[in-house]
Amino acid sequence: MSVPNSLILATVDHLARFAPFDCMEREHLVWLAERLKLAYYAKGETLLGPDSGPVKTFYIIKQGVINGEQDVVRAQDDASWLELHEGECFPLGALLSKRGVASTYRAGHDTFCFELAADDFRVLLRTSDAFHDFCTRRIANLLEQSKQALQAQYAKSSSDQQSMSSTLQTLIRREPVTCAPETSLREVLETMHKLGIGSMVAVDENKKPVGIFTLHDVLSRVALAEVSLDVPFNSVMSPNPRTLPPHALAHDAALVMAKQGFRHILVEEDGQLKGLISEKDLFSLQRVGLRQISGAIRNAEQLDTLIHSAKDIRQLAHNMLAQGVAAEQLTQIISTLNDLLTTRILELELRNDPAARDVEFCWLALGSEGRLEQTLNTDQDNGIIFATETDDDNEAIRAVLLPFARRVNLALAECGFPLCNGEVMASNPKWCLSLQEWKNTFANWIDRGDPMALLYSTIFFDFRPLYGADCLAFDLREWLRGAAKKNSRFLHQMAANALRNSPPSGSVWDFFTGKGNILDLKLNGITPFVDAARIFSLAVGGKQTNTLQRMREITGPLHVDPQDAEAWADAFLFIQLLRLQLHHEQCERDEPLTNKVDPDSFNNLDKRILKEAFRQARKLQTKLTVDYQL
Amino acid sequence: MNWLARLFGAKPELTPEQAERLAAWKALPAPDLNAPHAASRYVVVDVETSGLNLVKDRLIAIGAVAVLGGRQIQLADSMEIILQQRRVSGHDNILIHGIGGTAQSEGIPPVDALLTFLEYLGKSPLVAFHVAFDQTMIDRALKTFLGLKFKHSWADLAYIAPALYPELARSHRSLDQWMSRFGLGNYARHSALADALSTAELMLALRERMDTKQVDSFKAMRDLDKAQRMVNWTG
Repeated sequence: MSVPNSLILATVDHLARFAPFDCMEREHLVWLAERLKLAYYAKGETLLGPDSGPVKTFYIIKQGVINGEQDVVRAQDDASWLELHEGECFPLGALLSKRGVASTYRAGHDTFCFELAADDFRVLLRTSDAFHDFCTRRIANLLEQSKQALQAQYAKSSSDQQSMSSTLQTLIRREPVTCAPETSLREVLETMHKLGIGSMVAVDENKKPVGIFTLHDVLSRVALAEVSLDVPFNSVMSPNPRTLPPHALAHDAALVMAKQGFRHILVEEDGQLKGLISEKDLFSLQRVGLRQISGAIRNAEQLDTLIHSAKDIRQLAHNMLAQGVAAEQLTQIISTLNDLLTTRILELELRNDPAARDVEFCWLALGSEGRLEQTLNTDQDNGIIFATETDDDNEAIRAVLLPFARRVNLALAECGFPLCNGEVMASNPKWCLSLQEWKNTFANWIDRGDPMALLYSTIFFDFRPLYGADCLAFDLREWLRGAAKKNSRFLHQMAANALRNSPPSGSVWDFFTGKGNILDLKLNGITPFVDAARIFSLAVGGKQTNTLQRMREITGPLHVDPQDAEAWADAFLFIQLLRLQLHHEQCERDEPLTNKVDPDSFNNLDKRILKEAFRQARKLQTKLTVDYQL
Repeated sequence: MNWLARLFGAKPELTPEQAERLAAWKALPAPDLNAPHAASRYVVVDVETSGLNLVKDRLIAIGAVAVLGGRQIQLADSMEIILQQRRVSGHDNILIHGIGGTAQSEGIPPVDALLTFLEYLGKSPLVAFHVAFDQTMIDRALKTFLGLKFKHSWADLAYIAPALYPELARSHRSLDQWMSRFGLGNYARHSALADALSTAELMLALRERMDTKQVDSFKAMRDLDKAQRMVNWTG
């Protein structure tokens, strides 16, 4: 066919709504559409199964749902449950490797599929780079697109990109308050007082700004000049105020202010006043840089300053989300700044506490803080490890450290890190222990392996020194590396425990159809990765506490395919990113921070990646099942 | 070769090459209507016309999609022709099918358009939703422009669908109703090809019931079609 008919063109348009077809060249899409067959499968009908032999067809779902069901007997490589929807394609792995499928693909609803012969599929792989890329780097590709979408979204939001390169347009906070030039000075001052504003702009009948007057001017031009309050406003205002267009950058405004000593710049477009930018608006931008925040924390002398810095950390996190900083770096930066904040609180409290100063101790970060995976809603998980000559001194030392620890916990709470519900805090006598006591406690958990011991292990075994005598924490870590590795029964129990929390699988579709279902991004999404990585790391005597580093650490000793490890890491990071995004949105709306989300609120792309991420989580759990014969 | 020709019974004039094409089509072997679906090619059609009057109105476009083996639509095995019109159809009518005056007068000359249709069709049996309309329009155009008495086999989904789903027979009458029952889309309703595709999708969706009721050939579909017409007459 020389000229594609409307059916082919409509098919091209339909496909172009989905990845990877949205990135493919039109000529390739036409080529593809002309080779597609459309087939119908009634609900329950099987399309493909392990018995079908090498795959002969590439499927793209036009409408409906296809379920991939794992054949239990053959459970191995791809041991997961799949659910595929409109626009999704399968079976990529089997087609690429020219083998049969491991799963049985069955229509979950009445379904129409576009079908392409395997030979044509291979031709398309060779001719279309975008298609090739997608098939071979599926998850990486989807992530990239999601990131771009995320950035685009933040670029649109109003409080975005708070940097000196933002445009003035985005910095205007409210409608400017204006008056006519002939208004009496008294009236203007009363309005300024009533509204609590620092400046007033006079505009003519066309809304063109003709003058500005600020509180600063009251002193020289009104009070000292002893001017009557009945004079018209235009006799005291600064005429012909300096204006900049809305697309000028914050940087330009700062430059004008600095050079000419203005405190306000008017934003004017087409001869009309659009808004007002004050010096303060610009400074608040600069304050939330990484360097500025860390500087402010280091030099803080009071808790108030630190409370402010804690807020800035959140703002910075938002800005970085907007700039598309990856979740790994972002959580690490948040953790680093939080470390710094905690350190400063400890320093300030130690100043007033000579007795505590005399004790050799190390402040431990536990849980997500220990793993350097803090998001915006992290409650406190901390402990203290102290040095002693003999364990007879322990109670006396605790008597000194506990009140100190209490003050630190309270200060952290003021900075927005809520006190731990489970009392996993340094001010709890159970978690303010000597090195030997910690070893005894850990040994006891490893030995017992009851539910409480397992729960504690998931929090405490991720410990990391945050402040003080690091050597104590290193000593404890060395000890744990040996102790956990030796006790395979304990690891087995941990694995069984971890498997109790399985990521959404069979009912994924229910998660995505708005039946009032709530997805917990932490429990359903993050925890399976964290738990599995911890167990594997303990099993190989690893040193890392960070989940990603643990995943990298175990690939060698456990003979994990590096590509699998990479896919786990991508999946984990994607869910982290969604969490950060969620927390940020909750912050913006002044809502309490939770990990619970309505899956319907995700866009199609994110839903697909999320499903893929859950699949990776199940793969990781399958490895636990196999390794520990559960 | 115009509308009046019919009244005077004049034979349309074909060029030797056109006559040869028509003869070649006539010479094709007739299909075996008892063959199982799996061995058959059906062509699903939909037409757009200048109006709904079977006597006065003219054929403007034909859209056609082939169903292969009773199970698949090969997208490229589809066709859409617009017949060149002497007179552009009325404004209201254009709003329905979206084929504007320019497209109508720039269409393919009717003889070539209809020969193209026949060559695409071959002797494959035809399927449509409300056959009477499509059949009348196509028959007359073929008679007028090619002098062909078109005696083709048709099956009508407007009767077959309710026969397969008696429980829906009363509530489902139009193509739109059946489409919504099976969740079928339509990329451009009232474009001949898009409507033909939706009709073809409906045919695929009906296959499950055809299998259980052993409607396994075109002949069996025809029988079901006829039986349902009786039901409608008597019931």
